[in-house]
Amino acid sequence: MVRFENVGMRYGLGPEILRDVSFTLEPGSFHLLTGPSGAGKTSLLKLIYLAERPSRGAIWMFDREIATTPREELPALRRRIGVVFQDFRLLDHLTVFENVALPRRVMNELESSYRAEVEELLSWVGLGNRLNAKPATLSGGEKQRVAIARAVVAKPELLLADEPTGNVDPDIGGRIMRLFIELNKLGTSVLIATHDQRIMERVPAQRLFRLAEGRLTTANAADAVLAEAKRA
Amino acid sequence: MPGDSASGATLHTIVAVMSFLACLTLGAVLTLSRLAADWTEGLSGSVTVQLLPSPQISPEDQMKEALRLVQQWPGIFAAKPLGRAEAEKLLEPWLGEGNVIGDLPVPQLIEVTLTPGKPVELEGLGKALADGVPGAHLDDHKRWNEELASFAASSEAVGWAVLLLIGVATLAIVIYATQAGLQAHREIVEVVHMIGARDVFIASEFQRHFLWLGLRGGLIGLTLAIATLLGSSFFVDSREAPVGAQYMPQFVTAPQHYIWLFFVPVVIGLIAMYTARFTVLRVLGRMP
Ligand SMILES: Nc1ncnc2c1ncn2[C@@H]1O[C@H](COP(=O)(O)OP(=O)(O)OP(=O)(O)O)[C@@H](O)[C@H]1O
Ligand SMILES: [Mg+2]
Repeated sequence: MVRFENVGMRYGLGPEILRDVSFTLEPGSFHLLTGPSGAGKTSLLKLIYLAERPSRGAIWMFDREIATTPREELPALRRRIGVVFQDFRLLDHLTVFENVALPRRVMNELESSYRAEVEELLSWVGLGNRLNAKPATLSGGEKQRVAIARAVVAKPELLLADEPTGNVDPDIGGRIMRLFIELNKLGTSVLIATHDQRIMERVPAQRLFRLAEGRLTTANAADAVLAEAKRA
Repeated sequence: MPGDSASGATLHTIVAVMSFLACLTLGAVLTLSRLAADWTEGLSGSVTVQLLPSPQISPEDQMKEALRLVQQWPGIFAAKPLGRAEAEKLLEPWLGEGNVIGDLPVPQLIEVTLTPGKPVELEGLGKALADGVPGAHLDDHKRWNEELASFAASSEAVGWAVLLLIGVATLAIVIYATQAGLQAHREIVEVVHMIGARDVFIASEFQRHFLWLGLRGGLIGLTLAIATLLGSSFFVDSREAPVGAQYMPQFVTAPQHYIWLFFVPVVIGLIAMYTARFTVLRVLGRMP
């Protein structure tokens, strides 16, 4: 589903933020991405949701090599990915309902075809009575849930969440995690960037990607190193 | 897609002001060019024959002879002798009312109207008059005519130049305002892009928004401009007519010219629309 091979990345002419990053995400998998602040977690997610280009290496998304995929075909790939941004990135001039419906609208769907689904989704995250509120009038936790609803409204095959429990109390954090696990059971691959210790404790170690100083250590990579060592 | 905000109000104001200026200038230039055409046409439509007192011929015979000559000349529509009273009236502006002394040998005048659209051999007529009737002289207003025509032409040219400048300024300001407006919506462009919208989808949302913004602002400016033009013509009409005021009522934008003014908001709307499209596509083009 997602495959990185020796990917490096830098912003403009700055230093390399990511170095030799290689990993694979299988369909239906569930992974956490951890690492200290500034390690490059958000940057790695940006590469996956095709908001930045790698400065070297190769990325496959849904079996397409990105560098050789024509730009016009990227939107179709992005639509298969749902993103919960670290800073939510809700559109202030739209209501809660319109924000959540946005991914369906950009696919040129008619409102009648998604209205009921959006409303159902919003009541599922506990915002059924705030459909017409503007984001500015919401609390941090409420915004987060709107952002999550928007990320999943188009039934993505891959869900990326950047610090989804960063702004909420442990209780809501737990509910959000249960939501992701639920979605994962329904077949969505999930990758969550976090340094929330409580979340990490709930996930088996082999599902942990660690990012430090631009390098990624994965369970697969550890396995590969082990395998290599055995062969030697 | 983006709602109306404070920056939207500023944009409307800027667009409305530029539309107002462009409409006023266009109205003035169109009126000026019509005026120029009227002047030139009105003056070249008539000539005058002056009969200076001559010892060789009595004034009555002089008039009779001249009239006969003029009336049979090809292309002449009408020839009308001006009576002494009328001649005096014509001289009044120069000599003052009641100052035309009774026994002053005032030249007799014949007002000659040319058939419109028909070329007249005026030079030949002038020569025939000078040769055939002592003291007769044809005044074809040529000098006056040429001066007026060149005045009209040069003021018209200045008008078009001002219009061109206003047009360029409007273009630049509408483009700038649209880009500034889009800058405020950059976050929207980015988010919608990352959600999987195609470039043309995003561009078309913005270009529709800015088309309406341009049209609305443009129409506000147009309305104010028409109000100003109508107001000024009302003012001219209601004034005591001073010297030269016979031209003033014409300095009113003709109904057919108002139709041209309606193109201003349309053009402004289209400029805003294409600027928005171009800018959004360029911003998106820099994203992966
Ligand atoms: N748009 C950008 N332009 C230039 N440098 C950037 C940009 N975004 C991030 N960086 C730099 O890249 C590095 C990694 O940033 P990134 O946001 O990926 O870290 P992170 O792991 O998500 O941190 P956090 O846990 O605080 O969210 C940082 O040193 C940051 O300063
Ligand atoms: Mg981050």
